[in-house]
Amino acid sequence: MGASKGNIATVAAGIAYLVSRLAPSTMHRPTGWIVLTGTLALAVLMLPFAGLLFATPWLHLHLQAGDGAAIGISVGYTLVALLIVVIFGTPLAWWLARHSFRGKLLVDALVLLPLLAPPLTMGLMLSMVFGPYGWAGEPLRRLGLELTNTPQAFVLAQVYGAVPYFVVTARAAFEGVPQELEHMALTLGRGPWSIFWRITLPLSSLGLASGLALAWVRAMGEFGIVLIVAYFPQGIPVKLWANLQDSGLDATYPLLWLFFVVALPLPLALGLLSRRQPVY
Amino acid sequence: MRLHYRLQHPVRLDVSLRLDGFTVLYGQSGSGKTSLLKAIAGLLPAVGTPWNELPAQRRPIGYLPQGCALFPHLRVWQNVAFALDGTRVWRRARALQLLDNLDMATLAERWPSEISGGQQQRVALARALARQPQLLLLDEPTSALDMMAREDVMGELIDGIRRSGVPALAASHDLHLASMADSIALLHAGQVIQQGSPAQVIHRPVSAAAASLLGMRNILKATVLVSENGQSELDCHGWRLHAAATLPAGTRTGVAIPAEAVTLAGNGPDRPMTVTRLRQEGFFTRIWLQGESLPSLEALLPQTSVGKVGDQCWPQVAPAHVHLFTLDASLIPA
Repeated sequence: MGASKGNIATVAAGIAYLVSRLAPSTMHRPTGWIVLTGTLALAVLMLPFAGLLFATPWLHLHLQAGDGAAIGISVGYTLVALLIVVIFGTPLAWWLARHSFRGKLLVDALVLLPLLAPPLTMGLMLSMVFGPYGWAGEPLRRLGLELTNTPQAFVLAQVYGAVPYFVVTARAAFEGVPQELEHMALTLGRGPWSIFWRITLPLSSLGLASGLALAWVRAMGEFGIVLIVAYFPQGIPVKLWANLQDSGLDATYPLLWLFFVVALPLPLALGLLSRRQPVY
Repeated sequence: MRLHYRLQHPVRLDVSLRLDGFTVLYGQSGSGKTSLLKAIAGLLPAVGTPWNELPAQRRPIGYLPQGCALFPHLRVWQNVAFALDGTRVWRRARALQLLDNLDMATLAERWPSEISGGQQQRVALARALARQPQLLLLDEPTSALDMMAREDVMGELIDGIRRSGVPALAASHDLHLASMADSIALLHAGQVIQQGSPAQVIHRPVSAAAASLLGMRNILKATVLVSENGQSELDCHGWRLHAAATLPAGTRTGVAIPAEAVTLAGNGPDRPMTVTRLRQEGFFTRIWLQGESLPSLEALLPQTSVGKVGDQCWPQVAPAHVHLFTLDASLIPA
């Protein structure tokens, strides 16, 4: 245990050193206490991951049965969920950003409600509505759309988990586009669609990218809603839970590492994109 | 071309004016100039002619808002080509040609943030001209320019507009810009109260409101004493004035005198006036005078000719600077 603590301290010191070296020399140098508290915060944030790094039995790693399928399920269905989130969330965000009407505050609150509801209760509410005996679930089932323990249910749960994050972020991104520029484009003979594609979208792309990254992270990691609505098919979060229940902590490590490997690239890429200074 | 527009919100306006060449809609800030331009462009609900039946994107209008509103994510030539349809090669060639007409072709590859305010304005002009509009609308074209560049930029902009041959309506409260126009329309209380050439409007305001809008600081009432040979002698609160106009004796008339037109003499036939206040304004001094029954007279004088508070003097105005207008009692301070 003592050796492990020593290792963590070494890692923290290493990170602090890196942070201090990475600060570009052309920027004005941050004062000492900002560097110190910043480094400390980063170290605390990193602690669980450092713990994971040292706790993982690197030499005896092996996947559990079904881990591979869980990765496919998570990545594939999250992409589908993301598509749905973008298709339905973008018009809503644009509408909220560009129009004022009576009762807008109420609509704002409605968008925030799913964000506010604890995931588990969100799952319960969804199963009340879309479950086999729910008032929407039953007629949908008769139409052939089963929304419990099916891929469709899995995607539904992810959409509910992710859509408010996307809408809130995308709305702020749209609000950041000066309406004057859209008006200008109108006087230059362009119609609303053309203006959206050529002015609004490019100028809000950085904010939309953050919204997309956030929605991806939420959908990928969604556990509470998925657990209730779609225990099967098992994506990574629920499979981790199942592995823990069935075989103990060691059985979660390989899948957890793979989760980071598949989940991280998209938000990282979008984050890099939005951090890149635009030319204008 | 005649233009008539009425709108209720955000400002009540009922504006009717002629568009000859470069027309300046001159009015104070907040008088609704921007709203009128937006209404003509179809960006605000209004009723009027022409084009009222068309949606904004189909009106033959070139709009240059205050601050230009160039698209920040497009290069200069792409901004100009925004309104053009066709192949990329053709759009680029046409955009370069439009920029070249305004001597801006060398900046085609720059981003809007990399060029000066005056250059941005000419890019916005080229962009507006790309659609071959029937009317250009310019909102406060001189407001963003600094004093140093103003003369040049304004001159280049007006030249560009004149060369394009497209009539233009510029909203402005810049009298200097207005004086360079082909026509000035004075906007007051939601209506055009006077329109004509700069010489007509600036030298012959038709009402107290027009005179006050044009920056004439002294707006007074007078009575015609004698009138002959194109000259009138007026009594203005006991102060004797001469105006270059013929009016029947006994007529009550409004008088507007720019502060710059007042000079001071060491003596005169009337009772003297008293200096009540002085204020330095660069090379000039603004002084306020009070006569026996004349409430207040403002004069802007070169610094050398000024005394001090309490001094007595005889203000004089050349007849050409005494502007007479039909009396509109409600607008003249008592």
